[in-house]
Amino acid sequence: MSETMFNTNSSVESALPASPETELVNRIFSVESDEQLKPINAAENAEIWLADGHGVDQLDGLDDDLDTVNINNFFHRVDSDQIIYQTKKKQLKLIGKYVMGDLLGEGSYGKVKEMLDSETLCRRAVKIFKERKLRRIPNGEQNVRKEISLLKTLRHKNVIRLIDELRVPEKQKLYLVLEFCVGSLQVMLESAPGKKLPARQAHGYFTQLLNGLEYLHGARVIHKDIKPGNLLLTLEEVLKISDFGVAETFDLFAKDDTCYVGQGSPAFQPPEIANGAESFPGFKVDIWSSGVTLYNIMTGQYPFEGDNIYRLFENIGKGEFTIPEQIQDPLRDLLIGMLRKDPMERFSLQQVKQHTWLNRKPPPSDYTVPIPALKNDKWHNMTVLPYLYSHYYEDLGATYDKDGNLTEESEYFTERELNAAAEQLKQLTEQTNGNGPSNQSSSNSSTKRGRRKKRPLTCIAVQKFSFCKQS
Amino acid sequence: MSNLDINLNDYKIISTLGQCFEGKAIVSLAKHVPTNTMVAVKKFIMDMIKDNALVDFEIILMRQLLHPNILPYFTSFVNGPNVYVVSPLMAYGSCQDLLNQHFNEGLCEQAIVIILRDLLDALNYIHKKGYIHRAIRASHVLVSSTGKACLTGFRYACPIVCNGKWQKTIHSFPSSTKANLNWLSPELLEQNLLGYNEKSDIYSVGMVICELANGSEPFAGMSSTLMLTEKVRGCTPQLLDYTTVPRDINGDCSGGDGDISLKIINRRFSDNIHEMAAQCLNREPFYRPSAEQLLKHSLFKTIKNSLPLTDLLKPAIPLSDRVAFNKEDIENLDTFNYFANLQINTCEWDF
Repeated sequence: MSETMFNTNSSVESALPASPETELVNRIFSVESDEQLKPINAAENAEIWLADGHGVDQLDGLDDDLDTVNINNFFHRVDSDQIIYQTKKKQLKLIGKYVMGDLLGEGSYGKVKEMLDSETLCRRAVKIFKERKLRRIPNGEQNVRKEISLLKTLRHKNVIRLIDELRVPEKQKLYLVLEFCVGSLQVMLESAPGKKLPARQAHGYFTQLLNGLEYLHGARVIHKDIKPGNLLLTLEEVLKISDFGVAETFDLFAKDDTCYVGQGSPAFQPPEIANGAESFPGFKVDIWSSGVTLYNIMTGQYPFEGDNIYRLFENIGKGEFTIPEQIQDPLRDLLIGMLRKDPMERFSLQQVKQHTWLNRKPPPSDYTVPIPALKNDKWHNMTVLPYLYSHYYEDLGATYDKDGNLTEESEYFTERELNAAAEQLKQLTEQTNGNGPSNQSSSNSSTKRGRRKKRPLTCIAVQKFSFCKQS
Repeated sequence: MSNLDINLNDYKIISTLGQCFEGKAIVSLAKHVPTNTMVAVKKFIMDMIKDNALVDFEIILMRQLLHPNILPYFTSFVNGPNVYVVSPLMAYGSCQDLLNQHFNEGLCEQAIVIILRDLLDALNYIHKKGYIHRAIRASHVLVSSTGKACLTGFRYACPIVCNGKWQKTIHSFPSSTKANLNWLSPELLEQNLLGYNEKSDIYSVGMVICELANGSEPFAGMSSTLMLTEKVRGCTPQLLDYTTVPRDINGDCSGGDGDISLKIINRRFSDNIHEMAAQCLNREPFYRPSAEQLLKHSLFKTIKNSLPLTDLLKPAIPLSDRVAFNKEDIENLDTFNYFANLQINTCEWDF
């Protein structure tokens, strides 16, 4: 198993379902991801590649010319029980006034993590760009610069807002602080039965998408990459159009919305781009991809598919698609209108907004798809809290879990122990699933009191003295 | 009184009472010349305020509220780059002013109970109207010359009703709420999918009880991130008195880092008010009583037999008396202002 140690990376992570076991296993392998566990004391050679920090830099460089090297030289056989893991201390990390939290997701350009504004205590998301990585992507730096300047000018409820921009030259990193979102429509779809949303819920999101698009088009911006993965949801289930990496802004004096470049995700591209047209009307690109998005969230399928990008583009180029039987008329008509092959005949945004399907709310459905859990946490608790706990309360090797309970775990363990613990956790969650949320948390708070231990900075100290100071 | 003019020239600014909105708004004592009445004029300096929706929201919301314990706005108008809001003069100022100027170790229980009843009355009203205040704190509770407490600070409020539906939980995080963080409930600060509801205000009421009793703001001098973790773990302040100030074996109060005055050590709050503070500060919103339930508490029955608040607040004197006492001061102030204006003119000569 140790031979695969090197090859597995984030791609594996995304392919596997996020159960606690696979989660742990992935962390062992993925060198670059945000692991809480790191192997120690492995065989000498392996250690270099597995340890955080220095190894990563070298890995980055090696990625490019991996073929020219005899791969076997890099691997040293280690049995799984020879690797001993150590719980990584949740080391508090500050970027400016922001406290760093856990990983939320990974894009092509870098990671997205949670942050907490230590002044306002407002949750934020941060998109981290590594300049080194950016340089390797065609147009990478240019696209990011474009995205930043664009985001700065945009302000709408349904468009992601750029809060802050930080550059750390010594780390060669660029941090874009954005509004906090709990997940994308794509993640929600994947968790939904049949990978589709009930009509009422889809209607709500689609209306918000149109509102956002109307604003963008009014600001002469074409997004060009509308898809469920780029539509994020906040805690309040407000939809935010995000990822302006390939967006295009028209000049104030442009005659019309003619575009020359299309860079979005293949499955959501209109026929004119699939057929390689030299120029095409820009606004209609967003209409098409919104149509594909609506088709996708209502049916769980894609109107156009193909084994590879050539087949896919061939199918899109023909512009022929079928709509499942169960999709009845106002919606059927809307989808046909939005997915017309000829961009001139395709609905305009106003036509879409005034369509019958949009003006009448579908009847309430018997279920709504909830925002899916992040790493088994269905309430999406602040991931910054454990870092703050370990910073403020940790002493004598005592650790606290995310509720602030004292946990007495041994610091070192092997993979077998890890798997056993994960199994136990799974059983536990199955048992407690019946309990309501209020029940659970109340029992939590009662155990909290019982298990508290001496800490350097206790609440008792706070209770005693904070009032005595005059503000 | 309610048909005051919207002409700035009718208001003669007498003195500055204080600032709010992080210094971006100035509250002044003013005289409405035509009716010869004293009013408070709040000037929002819109050039400094980025989030002007907050000012709009507050004014629009205040027009929809009518309750004896909510500070009314007589009128509001725009003049140049500023927005002016005229409200009745609250002669004792805010409860925080009272604490800072006269009651460094906290108010007496009877005064707290009277203020608390007025505060809960106002809260009960706005909760039933479908709003969460989200900034309940002593500085947002003003006391009138007759000893009536009024709630202000509505620009942080949020509606519970959304699209005609009463929301079970709210998730929005108030913007520019930095100054109010110490009073906010743990569930509001956590910003997770569980959200919060109007019980969040009740937690802040608990904080205000402690603030009024102890004379200082809760979690004072603590970093906001530590305050957050303390709250999330369920740590709350207490009313400091004979029963709660910790003692060592000899019965001495070893204050640790702060010396606790004898007055605090020897005073005694009733069990009722201790209990009420603890109920309000329950970590679990579900177990906190509503404003309506709190108003039925036997604690408030004592008000009937107590002295009026104005007597309990002595030696603090209401503003109008102070102004009457120093009529000369005002005249001096006028001449001062006159010269100040002159000085601006002379500045033009000073190349």
